[in-house]
Amino acid sequence: MSAGTPAAAGGSLREAAVHALGDAQLGAALRTLATVIGGRRRSAIEDVGNWEELRERARAIKDETLAHLDTYLEAFGANAERAGARVHWARDAHEACAIVLDLLRARGAARVVKSKSMATEEIHLNAALEAEGIHPVESDLGEWIVQLAGEAPSHIVVPAIHKSRGEIGALFSARLGIPLTDDVADLTRTARRVLREQFAAAEAGISGVNFGVAETGTILVLENEGNARLTTSVPRMHVALMGIEKVVPRLADLEVFLTLLPRSGTGQRLTAYQSLITGTKRRARDEGPEEVHVVLLDNGRSRLLRDPLTRQALACIRCGACLNACPVYRQIGGHAYGAVYPGPIGAVLTPQLSGLTTGVELPFASSLCAACRDVCPVKIDIPALLLRLRAEVVEGTPAGTAGQRGPARAARMERLAFRAFAWVARGRRRYEWAGRLARVGQRAFVRGGRIGAVSGLLGRVVPPLGAWTAERDLRPLAPRAFRDLWREGTVPEDTPRAGARR
Amino acid sequence: MTRPAERGPRADDEARRAVLEDVRRHLRASPAASASSRKDEGVGAAEPEALASGPALVERFREAVEGVAGHCVIVGDVAAAVRAVREVLDRHRPGRIAVSDAPLARRVLEAAGTDAEIVGEADTASLFHVDVGITTAQWAIAETGTLVLDGDAERHRFASLLPPVHVALVSAADVRLTIGSVLAELARRRPEDLSRCVTFITGPSRTSDIELTLAIGVHGPGALHVIVIGGAREG
Repeated sequence: MSAGTPAAAGGSLREAAVHALGDAQLGAALRTLATVIGGRRRSAIEDVGNWEELRERARAIKDETLAHLDTYLEAFGANAERAGARVHWARDAHEACAIVLDLLRARGAARVVKSKSMATEEIHLNAALEAEGIHPVESDLGEWIVQLAGEAPSHIVVPAIHKSRGEIGALFSARLGIPLTDDVADLTRTARRVLREQFAAAEAGISGVNFGVAETGTILVLENEGNARLTTSVPRMHVALMGIEKVVPRLADLEVFLTLLPRSGTGQRLTAYQSLITGTKRRARDEGPEEVHVVLLDNGRSRLLRDPLTRQALACIRCGACLNACPVYRQIGGHAYGAVYPGPIGAVLTPQLSGLTTGVELPFASSLCAACRDVCPVKIDIPALLLRLRAEVVEGTPAGTAGQRGPARAARMERLAFRAFAWVARGRRRYEWAGRLARVGQRAFVRGGRIGAVSGLLGRVVPPLGAWTAERDLRPLAPRAFRDLWREGTVPEDTPRAGARR
Repeated sequence: MTRPAERGPRADDEARRAVLEDVRRHLRASPAASASSRKDEGVGAAEPEALASGPALVERFREAVEGVAGHCVIVGDVAAAVRAVREVLDRHRPGRIAVSDAPLARRVLEAAGTDAEIVGEADTASLFHVDVGITTAQWAIAETGTLVLDGDAERHRFASLLPPVHVALVSAADVRLTIGSVLAELARRRPEDLSRCVTFITGPSRTSDIELTLAIGVHGPGALHVIVIGGAREG
């Protein structure tokens, strides 16, 4: 995340969100993201006649795979190794970093290029390599920009969306010593020139994997820039990090995902390049790396298999469509989430993968509008997952409340409030008296027929009231309850009837 | 960060067993899933017969390539392809040209004639300093304007990637309609015959990472010229 932001300093989501909302340039960037990518996605979908059917099919493939994940993973591993790749298995982030470090050391590789991989962000691989004196150079333009800026990516697909061309130009000028410019073509040419030297000198390339095919041991890497092709072909060693949920059964299954993913993510029919890499080259003189390693990463994924509801989060193909559709993400951007995976899928994955030790506020930052569910190419029911996670956090599972002052206290207050409400609502007389008290008590707050800001003690004791009325007025309770009027047999003259116009 | 322990084959094996056991354990703990229905039809909507092959298919491919900022011409024969290549070389005026080991690519380049230095089976380092790369493609996909390069069939992994200009020759007979049909052909091979690197190329390299503004030509070629041979309507 941006150095100096509340999220980076370990602040709460609320603080980070308020900070983000005050950033006008970020707001403009996010508006562009929502409208432009949203429009491109819609056009790209129009040219597919059976989009809904494809979503069903993709989800069915993922469900089938996850239901037999061990079988497919074993087949993937065996087939990849038969073709000459080495397959490694990592239980967690620490182990994955250790494996990659050992591979680099064994090869004597100090110069490393990387292509885009959210999984490598998840395991904090760059930090682990830096600690051992290896500086991996990001080659995806957006990732390279945030790397130069010392920031984390703010979006799964467009990592530097939060930066304006002016900021990027200033960054390049400061860090690379080039003349100041904000021309996109010039900046891109600079990136090509500088990174080309890195590719030529690289001794190892680290990439992610979009899909792994069990039937053949093939890994598929999708991209637009060409940096992944370079990363996976020029250096003598290629290390590919792959989440265990990325496996699909058959080569033919790739078709439906290649139809859904680019359209959902960037509004393209296909990205410029897909590399289908199976094992290592057959002959020494062939083009390509001498060694290909695939590191399979669990890191909390297997635990999600226990429950069909949580399991569907593993169907995610990292298209980013949910981020682009989310009204919350559109307002606060990726950094405010303070997590590797932002947006709706991040709100679901981050707490789950960490066993409810991180990101427990994230499931609450949603209006449950379900825009994410509508655009998800594999039909993940994110709102259902958010509700489940909220319940788990509020119920205060030991892992969920460990070290978290905010949510635990809020959970206790909330439980108290609901218990109090339940007690009042269960007795008719109690309920009526509560109403009478409220009608009297509210008079102190009513001005000109409305309740304005409820500040002070009441606003703090009932936070939703304070928060709501900070921005909006409330209508007061009517001076007399309808049930009293009903009992009297009178209904006032000026009571509006249904459909009547004022 | 503590220095991680060095791993040996036993650690690898242990990790593999542990991950698989974790997966199995969590799957066992879950309720039995309902059988998912798998349909194995093709992905795309049913296409009219006319587009399954022939000039209409090739034309659709050409349009799709142009639609992603590539250049595509359809020519009747190799002689016409030679002329097309010459035009591309005249436009770009390369000092050095990389050519793959495909006989067609070499024949066409030689016939086109050029003063440029021709780099054949060069090492990677020298391919970084080449202006134009000429290769063939093993298939073309009409619905997306995609070239499919089989790295085992031809040495074109770098010639199609490093130079800023890529010229690709493809036979009209190798144009398919869908991604699925090419994947099916690949899957039909015996596992040991599956190509070690297959690359799908759709247009020139591009990015929208800066303010979502499209920039063509990042790390891969910025110009893609496709010449389809044998598909001209004149026959």
